[in-house]
Amino acid sequence: MATDSLSSARKVIVQLKATADAPILKQNKFKIHGTDKFAKVIDFVCRQVHRETVFVYINSAFSPNPDELVIDLFNVSFCSS
Amino acid sequence: MMGAQKYVWEGAIPLQIHLHESEITSLPPPSPALILAPRIGYLPLLLPLIKPYFSSTLPPGQDTLWFDYKGLPLKWYIPTGVLFDLLCAEPERPWNLTVHFRGYPSNLLIPCEGEESVKWSFINSLKEADYIINGNCKNVMNMSQSDQVELWRSVMDGNLDKYIRSSSKLKLGTVTTDEADMVGQVKAGKIPVRLYVWSVNEDFEDMEDAPEVDSWDQISYINRPLEIHKEGKYFTLHEALKNLLPEFFAGKSLINDKPCIEESEDSQKVSSEDVGSSTGAEEGKEIVSQPMESCCNDAEIKLVRIQGIEPKLEIPFSWVVTNLKNPEHFLHICVCVKIPNVNAA
Repeated sequence: MATDSLSSARKVIVQLKATADAPILKQNKFKIHGTDKFAKVIDFVCRQVHRETVFVYINSAFSPNPDELVIDLFNVSFCSS
Repeated sequence: MMGAQKYVWEGAIPLQIHLHESEITSLPPPSPALILAPRIGYLPLLLPLIKPYFSSTLPPGQDTLWFDYKGLPLKWYIPTGVLFDLLCAEPERPWNLTVHFRGYPSNLLIPCEGEESVKWSFINSLKEADYIINGNCKNVMNMSQSDQVELWRSVMDGNLDKYIRSSSKLKLGTVTTDEADMVGQVKAGKIPVRLYVWSVNEDFEDMEDAPEVDSWDQISYINRPLEIHKEGKYFTLHEALKNLLPEFFAGKSLINDKPCIEESEDSQKVSSEDVGSSTGAEEGKEIVSQPMESCCNDAEIKLVRIQGIEPKLEIPFSWVVTNLKNPEHFLHICVCVKIPNVNAA
């Protein structure tokens, strides 16, 4: 776990699943730097679905703060499931 | 062991709030508002208290409340106590903040629509904590709407008894019994931790000489759950930090700055309690007897602050978690690290 988070330079693959009335995306997987903030994921989804606001959840469970780092979220969701 | 948690819940920061000069339309200008802000609270929740002071002088327009400290816009989702511990290296009382009701800096801050946004952020943090502890959010998701409202109200009102009643249903206790607490044992599992690592380049002797935080870029917001593998093992705050921030605890280098282990009233109380545990006392001694030398090439931890306290690092981590965590079950730790200048090396 610690070594994982140390190598935050690596990239994380994010898979998107549509929920509620969100359109299903043509590109539902993308790579992002671990050091990026979750805000970047939200931005990406916003541009993909052409909406001003979107709700993005991790593992259909919780919606993290946009300031959280992608690698931290990856470590939480990966190590728990 | 309820004592310390009660202190945290009753803890408040005296604020002296000035209205930003660009929003003053009256003469004479309004005097600053003096308000006690709960440590576990959030700045936007102070709106009903602050608004009456300034409502008569505001220019026309819609209210979008935000605060700055010496020009740094404050992130509203960080508990007020954490903001104070993080940004006021040398605690300033009252804490002088500037309030703005116009011109929200949406390029720097996440939008906030008052209490609803704060509640949303709080509940999602609670879910995140639940996810870390249990691997899912069922406990929080299955909460009835009224239980959720009651839990949120207890935090808003700073009512610890009500909070304990409504949060006990959540089964989020990582460190459970008082017995376990006394000997410093932690159940195997994960503890949700939010770290605020403030990196400075120049050295300073006293915290009052510490540079100011003028950009959020100087602070890394790290969310790393602490994993505890062995059940029943005595686990100190020092070990916890070593696990959480291995990059700053390379090799045997230890915290070498006196303020970190300076005796405060709170840590004094704690250290007398863990004498009962022989392993604890031994480990504690070992840490203290280490020579206070700095490893010149490495980053050096200048300060560790949790809920306004600079705890001794040999105190049991279980005590820290049980007593000093915030109501959303995250332990917020402020760390100041001196990173040696690359050019100087």
